[in-house]
This record gives sequence, structure tokens and C-alpha cells, in this order.
Amino acid sequence: MHNIDPISKLYYILFAIIIPIILPSFIVSVICVALSVLLLLAAKVIRKTLPVYSFVFLVLITVIVIQGLFRPGNETILFHLGPFAMHKEGLLFALTIVLRVTNIVSAFMLLVLTTKPSDLVESLVRRGMSPRIGYVIVSVFQIIPEMMSTMSTIMDAQRSRGMETEGKLLVRMKAFIPLLAPVVLGSLINTKERAMALEVRGFNSRNPKTYLNEEKTYSYSKWIQVAMLLVTIFAVAWRVFL
Amino acid sequence: MIKVSNLSFSYSPAGPSVLSDINLEFDRRTTAIIGQNGAGKSTFVKLLKGLLKTDQGEIFIGDYEVKMKTAAELARQIGLVFQNPDDQIFKRTVLDEAMFGLLNIKIGKSTAERLAVEALEMVGLEDKLAVNPHDLSLSEKKLLCIASVMAMDTDIVIFDEPTIGQDHAGMEIIRRIIQELKKKNKLVMTIIHDMDFVAENFDRTIVFNNGKVLLDGETREVFSQKEVLMEANVEPPGVTQLAERVGLKNTILTVEEFVQECGK
Repeated sequence: MHNIDPISKLYYILFAIIIPIILPSFIVSVICVALSVLLLLAAKVIRKTLPVYSFVFLVLITVIVIQGLFRPGNETILFHLGPFAMHKEGLLFALTIVLRVTNIVSAFMLLVLTTKPSDLVESLVRRGMSPRIGYVIVSVFQIIPEMMSTMSTIMDAQRSRGMETEGKLLVRMKAFIPLLAPVVLGSLINTKERAMALEVRGFNSRNPKTYLNEEKTYSYSKWIQVAMLLVTIFAVAWRVFL
Repeated sequence: MIKVSNLSFSYSPAGPSVLSDINLEFDRRTTAIIGQNGAGKSTFVKLLKGLLKTDQGEIFIGDYEVKMKTAAELARQIGLVFQNPDDQIFKRTVLDEAMFGLLNIKIGKSTAERLAVEALEMVGLEDKLAVNPHDLSLSEKKLLCIASVMAMDTDIVIFDEPTIGQDHAGMEIIRRIIQELKKKNKLVMTIIHDMDFVAENFDRTIVFNNGKVLLDGETREVFSQKEVLMEANVEPPGVTQLAERVGLKNTILTVEEFVQECGK
């Protein structure tokens, strides 16, 4: 899974979103979710998905409860939750939402967890995305860990001069706020320097850009993309003619 | 003053050990810690300062074990000047920056201001009290960081690469500060790559290599062991090498010594 073309994975996200829209039946949605989960399993990244899934489900549970209790058009009572009644229509509607969200989240995770951001951006730039935008995306991924490490160095420096940063939550909060200024200021100063460094190396040059890495040849890219296209066409046909 | 015994450390439990089995004792001699990048010097200093916690072994400063205290509590005993001033500076004026540590250790405002101004006078920034530290030059920023640690009047002062980016005048100020601290009977330690500066200013030198102490002793004695130094990729000061090449028997540390020796 890690060796599949990032572009194919992008198409897969599109595919996983479109198919349940074309064929809005439970079974199709379930199949899509199952497919993504299987692929995540095959890529051995399922462990990393757990925190994301648990967060998403936390939100979805509220959707289920609210829809089940209060959706307009609720008629058939299934069971009672204390003084409130759960309705079949609401629950079914909530189920479609749950499936859709899980589906989209799974497809995105398949891309995010199995692709280095720089690979993805490079593939996109090769396919005609502006290198400028590519740089912006890549740098966001770089800046976050950088800011984290600056943050901890600055924190160390302040601790060295007697600022208490360990212990109770309140102490930590108090310590955190004054640190923001140097971190943000520091990254702004960095940005200026970085811009100059880029300019010196011809970032704005109009010549076509070359690439540091050789283009990776991904196996099966064509087949995967064609297969997905065929399934999509088939789905449309199914929807239109049957 | 500081006693380190059987100290080992690694950043992650499974990772390679950054320091292994360090046993050192520090007295009040000025001490330089040298060695290649990645030899574990900075890590060692951070452990002394309580910014990192020891895995194995003990560090005692006076009667206290470092592990038992937070870095903030240690701030009264031990001061550390960071290598990059931008990591340390975060107040709006030079005076506030120098007072920051003093206020943290609960020193009254007027006293703190007096001590801060004194420290700033030592580094020659007394006429820039109201300036924003970010408008200072790199070398001035470093001096400000030194002043803000000096103001706290700790028994132990550690400098991380104080001489980087300093012009001659800046070096002279740092030299004077080290002598001043020595006179006040404080322990001055520094991590440094400038061997000339080590030879001229430090009584004791410790060479780190791959997380171990390779050499430890009087600076003159350390710089006389050329082969061992080579193992740590450390080059003796230029004048020391010159003296050896021209065949002088004693290990020479400064230009003055060289001139004297040749004049005999």
C-alpha cells in the first residue's frame, strides 16, 4: 500500500465519496467502508487509525442520539430512553450519516497514513500543480514539528531562569502563554530568512523546474485507476438503467 | 560542588545511549567541555541543569540530588546561558529581559532592577536598557543573555558556546566576565569549540567523545596529549601545534608563553 502512486490514492478518495452518492444504498456504503478498512489493514496502519476513529465516533454518537430522538418525520417508535422515544426513521438516517463519514475518513486516512506528504506534493507538481503551492503545502508539514522543537527549547531556556513549568495545570497554562510570543516571532524571522534563501536558489525563476528525486515508477497505477473508473461508470449505468 | 556518578542517559529507552557511565567531580576551577558535535556535551549540561532527567546514576549539586528538583528550583544555584539567544530572549526591553530571572526567583523589584543594571553594565549594555532585545545585533543579544543569567548570581554558571558570532570586543567582554566570576569564587563551565579561547581562559578541560569522558585534567596536560585528542577529532590550539612543530618541549597554551619560551 505504501508503494502505490499517491495520485491513485487521491482518486480512491474521490471514488469512495462518489460511489455511495451514485448508489445510495446501505450495502454499497458498507462495502466501501469495508474495502477501505481492509486496505488499511493490508497497509498495517490500522493501529494509527484508532485515535481518529474514536474521535469521529464520539461525534457520531451525538448525531445518532439527536437524530434518533428528534428528527422531523420520526414516527415508528423502537424503544424508550428514559422519558424519550427512539425512532426508526431517525436512526436509519443517522446510520447513513455514520457510514458516509466513516467512509470518507477511512479513505482519507488511507492516503495520509501511507504517503509521505513530500511524495504526494511531488506527484502533484509533476502533474502540473504550481511548485509554489507545492512548496507551501510541504512547508506546512515541516513547520509544525519545527515549531514544536523551538517551543521546547524556549521552554527549557525559561525554566533555566526559574520559571516554573512543571506541575499543576494552572502553572503550565501560565507558563505557556508568554512562550507564544517568542515562538511566533521566531518563526516569522525564520520565514524572512527562508524566503531569502529560496530566492537565492532561484525559487522564482521562470525556467521549468527539475526534480531532486527520480520519478518513482509505481506498479499497477494504470490498472488501479482504470478499475476504479470502470466501477464508477458501471455504478452510473446501474443507477440510470436499473 | 557537583558530583556526577555512574551517569548514563539516552533520549528514548530503545535508542542509543548518548552518555554512558560518566563519573566526574567539579570543583571551582573554570572548566571547558570540548568534543565533536554529538559527543553528548549539551546533553550532559542539560542533565546538570535538571532540564533532562537522568536514567541511571546520580548528580549531586552541593547536598541536593538534581533529580529531586525542578529546573526552576535549580535556577538559584545554577545558571545556563543558551547557545542561541533567540531561544532565550522574550521580553520587550533589555532591562525586563535581564530582570526576568530575578523576578522568577522572588527577588524584590527594586533589588532586581539594581542587580540587572549591574549585570548589564558588565557586558556594556547599560545604555540600551529600553531597547527591544530583538533590535540588538547577534553579539549584543548573546551578551544580554549572559547578563540576564549573571544577574541571578548563581554559584555555578554554564555557557553554551559563548564565543560563537562574537567579534574581538565581544570576546574580550566574555573573557573579563569569566575572570570576574572566577574571582567571585564561582564555578564557570562552558561548552566550546574555540580551542584558543579554552587554552587562554580555562584551568580544566574535559574532552567528551561518543558519550564518554575521554580526557579530563589541567588544560595544559589535556592539550599535550595529541594522539588521544585526535581520537576525539579535537585539534589543539594553533600556537600549541606551532610550538610542538618548532620543537619546544613544554606544552604551550598562549602566544605570550610562546614568545617567552622562544626568547630564552
